[in-house]
Amino acid sequence: MKKALLRTLLASVAALFVADAVAADLRVGYSSDVTTLDPANHRSRVTEGVILNMYDALLARTDDMKVVPELAESWKQIDATTWEFTLRKGVKFHSGAEMTAEDVKYSFDRLVKDNAMGGQTSPRKSLLGPLKDTSVVNPTTVRFHLAEPWPILAAYLPFQQVVSKSFVEKVGTQGMATQADGTGPFKLVEWRRGDSVILERFDGYYGGSPDLPPVGKAGVDRVIFKVIPESASRVAALLAGEVDIVDELPVHAIKQVEANPRTKVLATNGTRSFFIPMNVTRPPFNDVRVRQAANVAVDRKLIIDRVLSGLATPLDGLLSPESYGFNASLPKLTLDVDRAKKLLAEAGHPNGIDVTLDVANAFKDVAEAVASQLTRAGIRTKVQLWEQTTLSQTWAKPESNNRDMVFQSWGDGALDPVGIFVPVLKGKDRGNYSGFANKEVDALLTAADTEVDVAKRSKMYQDAQAIVARESPLIFLWLPQDVYGASARLKNWRPSPRGVIKLHDARVD
Amino acid sequence: MSSVDAALPAARSQEESILSGNLRDFLANRMSVAAAVVCLAFCLIAIFAPLLAPQNPYETDLLRRLQPPAWMEGGERGFWLGCDALGRDVLSRMIYGTRVSIMIGVAVVLLATVIGTTLGLLAGYLRGPVDMVIARVCDILLGFPYLIFAIGLMAMMGPGLQNIILALCYKEWVLPCRVVRAETLAAREQDYVEAARALGASRWHIMRREILPNILSPVIVVATFRMAYIIIAEASLSFLGLGVQPPTASWGSLVADGRAFLLDAWWVSTFPGLAILALVLAINVASQGLRDAFDPRLSR
Amino acid sequence: MSPLRLAERLLQLIPVLLGISVIVFAMMALTPGDPVQIMLGDSLADQAQRDSLRRDMGLDLPVVERFFRFLGNALTGNFGLSFFHRRPVMDVILERLPATIELTLVAMFIAIAVAVPLGVIAAVRRNSLLDRIATIGSMLGVSMPGFWFGILLILLFAVNLHLLPVSGRIGFGHEVKMVTGFVLIDTLMAGRLDSFLDALRHMLLPAVTLGLAMSALLMRVTRTSMLEALSQDYVTFAEAKGLSRVRVVGRHALKNALIPTVTVAAIETGSLLGGNMIIETVFGWPGLGRLVVEAIFSRNYPLVQAAVLIYATTYVLLNFLADLLYTVLNPKVRL
Repeated sequence: MKKALLRTLLASVAALFVADAVAADLRVGYSSDVTTLDPANHRSRVTEGVILNMYDALLARTDDMKVVPELAESWKQIDATTWEFTLRKGVKFHSGAEMTAEDVKYSFDRLVKDNAMGGQTSPRKSLLGPLKDTSVVNPTTVRFHLAEPWPILAAYLPFQQVVSKSFVEKVGTQGMATQADGTGPFKLVEWRRGDSVILERFDGYYGGSPDLPPVGKAGVDRVIFKVIPESASRVAALLAGEVDIVDELPVHAIKQVEANPRTKVLATNGTRSFFIPMNVTRPPFNDVRVRQAANVAVDRKLIIDRVLSGLATPLDGLLSPESYGFNASLPKLTLDVDRAKKLLAEAGHPNGIDVTLDVANAFKDVAEAVASQLTRAGIRTKVQLWEQTTLSQTWAKPESNNRDMVFQSWGDGALDPVGIFVPVLKGKDRGNYSGFANKEVDALLTAADTEVDVAKRSKMYQDAQAIVARESPLIFLWLPQDVYGASARLKNWRPSPRGVIKLHDARVD
Repeated sequence: MSSVDAALPAARSQEESILSGNLRDFLANRMSVAAAVVCLAFCLIAIFAPLLAPQNPYETDLLRRLQPPAWMEGGERGFWLGCDALGRDVLSRMIYGTRVSIMIGVAVVLLATVIGTTLGLLAGYLRGPVDMVIARVCDILLGFPYLIFAIGLMAMMGPGLQNIILALCYKEWVLPCRVVRAETLAAREQDYVEAARALGASRWHIMRREILPNILSPVIVVATFRMAYIIIAEASLSFLGLGVQPPTASWGSLVADGRAFLLDAWWVSTFPGLAILALVLAINVASQGLRDAFDPRLSR
Repeated sequence: MSPLRLAERLLQLIPVLLGISVIVFAMMALTPGDPVQIMLGDSLADQAQRDSLRRDMGLDLPVVERFFRFLGNALTGNFGLSFFHRRPVMDVILERLPATIELTLVAMFIAIAVAVPLGVIAAVRRNSLLDRIATIGSMLGVSMPGFWFGILLILLFAVNLHLLPVSGRIGFGHEVKMVTGFVLIDTLMAGRLDSFLDALRHMLLPAVTLGLAMSALLMRVTRTSMLEALSQDYVTFAEAKGLSRVRVVGRHALKNALIPTVTVAAIETGSLLGGNMIIETVFGWPGLGRLVVEAIFSRNYPLVQAAVLIYATTYVLLNFLADLLYTVLNPKVRL
């Protein structure tokens, strides 16, 4: 009797230390939890990344940023303000109901009509620009009516998913936050708040966009997005074999992950540029020579090689080389300490200057590296740490903040200058921390807004970049790659330049 | 007022003899003495940091990024404990960090003790509404989750040395305040206080000259063992982003910044972590000895 | 405790909670940062979008009016909608609270399990080598920064030895129907021993990290009160009667010595509850602490306000409970 008891006890203790059996589950170590499961009620890429696996959109994007049909079979522009979409037939929601034009109209009405979401307005409304109404032509055709011409509508449709009208009417906007009924490759099993989102394969899936092969059902039984906020722990989970993909792999962990036979590093070109706005509204950076000096005082290559493990592209301007309207003939920015010192002397600072570089906690390391290089060239830079949001607030008005420089980044998933060049460099725009305001640049940017000729529009942006390069309101730094860690058993998955993890094609051995 | 002092020689001399007896008790506890010596050694390191540090702790050199300690492959003489992410010497940064960490500990404990003792004396001696108000303020501060307050403060005012000290002081004074209040409540009924009152001493005088010297030993005991807690708390704040401003480093910020490299460059955060462990453990052991020797009542 | 005294204690809650409401509201209102801007981030947005969000968040009202609305609604338990979850704050908080409470209680259990035996041994073998080892041993956990200790434990037990999981609350092979929200209880209620053990494995590292930090204090309290109890007349008497040492210590001294330990444990549980956000972050524990830290950084005012009030209420009530406990266990004390 006693022996049996002892044996049970020992067995229990042993069980305590035996890991789970590995199933055909794909686990993602995710840096933060989603805020909601409602496709229309968030503005977060992290949240979108999970929702995309459950909800499909009218259009999708390929990895090289081409827009292709998804739930829509085809689309055409009727006139300057009317677009028509023909829907794919036989698409089913997870609940089994067939998707119709009514669902599409309902989804977009929720997005663009005021107070359409339980009295509130969707935070995604302005991502649809001047879209004002949607009408049903027949069960498989809908028309979008715009208030004014908006040539980039198609480019923004992959960001909006289609919901089921009957489901929303059943559960309400509150219910949509925690339940899901989409047309995507996975359906919701359970959202353990703060811990994980568990999805399983939807067997009634129509297969996805034919332009994004392979077409068919999802490759794994279950997908689990597991929240691990601390990056050291996320890397540990990958190395311990607990997860198959981790996002935001810290660059210093790359060596470890590559050295481990069971894990690998996956990277893709990012869309977030890093740069340092200099406050042009006050000395010393109101002098263009000082700003040019700063731009040749930074050894981008050394920092990229040593601190960023080589996983970034040095920038001579603000835009990614892959961006539409990129000017490839900007002067190359290379380290030239003598030239920096000469420029400083010409500007009346033969003994150098003392400035402060503001930075949020997360980028302390690189900011300190840049600061020490600037210091060597006579721009003696002190780094000051800030909490991220307070920092943004302080720099929203550079003309009155009495600060010198700030470490900033701006992300633009669409790779169009509208999403990055305009906010950062147009006078008084929302991301313009340098206080830079140039009449010529502003005129070019305003004209480009309404220019329909693709080549002409591109030329306008290129001209603007040339002016900005001359005026140097920013120290241009680099464009880091988005880095993911993955297990060796993960197959058929590549990181998307959009920065979301879509797992339709992924498989695990 | 000298007449009051003259009237109470007995109490004073008795106090002194207790003190020297306690000191003997403390010295008899070898473990505590050893711990006190360790604490002293760290203080000396802090004071003589510029003489001891082999390298300039602020000099970055990206080519030395994450260079291992001298005895390992790839290590270099002079950079004994390796280099951090920007190629700065870990040992030198630790030696300078000793200054910052001990400074924060001392500043916080000192401030908290002064504030807490003053308010505790007032509450315990005056009682009534003053006592009640102070008690409620203590309740409010203790009830407000402390880390949330610290993060809020950081968001409001930014990281930095003064703000760390402020964030740590915020409720730190409550403990000495409560101890002093309890001691004062007991002391105000004692004969020597009664005597002083009968001789016409002012309330301020009684609190400062009669009660305070007699309740000082528990206050000192509390102060020493809170010092250990403060050094750990400073590290926690660094983890949450309320650290010192660069290029300065505290032990806490060294451990917090280095935690990301624990897998591949363990030396960046392990050595500062061990330094914290050594000093905090030493303070804890030494203060235990102090408590046992000076204030048996408090020794829980 | 007399009913009058009880009522007085409960009345004292009011100014305390009011004061905390004022502080937390002022703290969030004074902190720079615009929740609307945080929500929108870098992506495309026009003024109409900003205005509608500001209205949905209730930020179009003047600060004073916002404060009184917050106070009034708080009295009815309504803390408004979380800015980013766009759901009632209370729902969001209550989903995360059980995880925090469960971790705290298990950590406290571990702390007591470590501290009491060490304290008893230290007291019985007073000033011996054993006493010194027990004292230093109990101090180890409190002498390291918790996050660092936690990461070291992860690296050792999860990455190198593959014995325990890195993070989370329970493995994904286990489907648990949450009834109480406490995963240990729910798995047992469902009769799933394997799931229970799995949950226990997940809890072990974070609970040990938290618990060891608490054990020094509890060990000290136990040791002191044990010493006191051992010097009491009845113990000497019992020993004189020829009862064995173990029996005396176990039966008589320990019972009395545990009263202060339990009281201190109850009070410390309160500060543990409000102070484990760091451990929750390191271990990916889906508790309230992490949620609140994120909420401060994203200026999610309603969530921070509600959470702080919940923490404060729990803290005050636990203190109250500790007082009660002390009175009940130890009838000599009159509060």
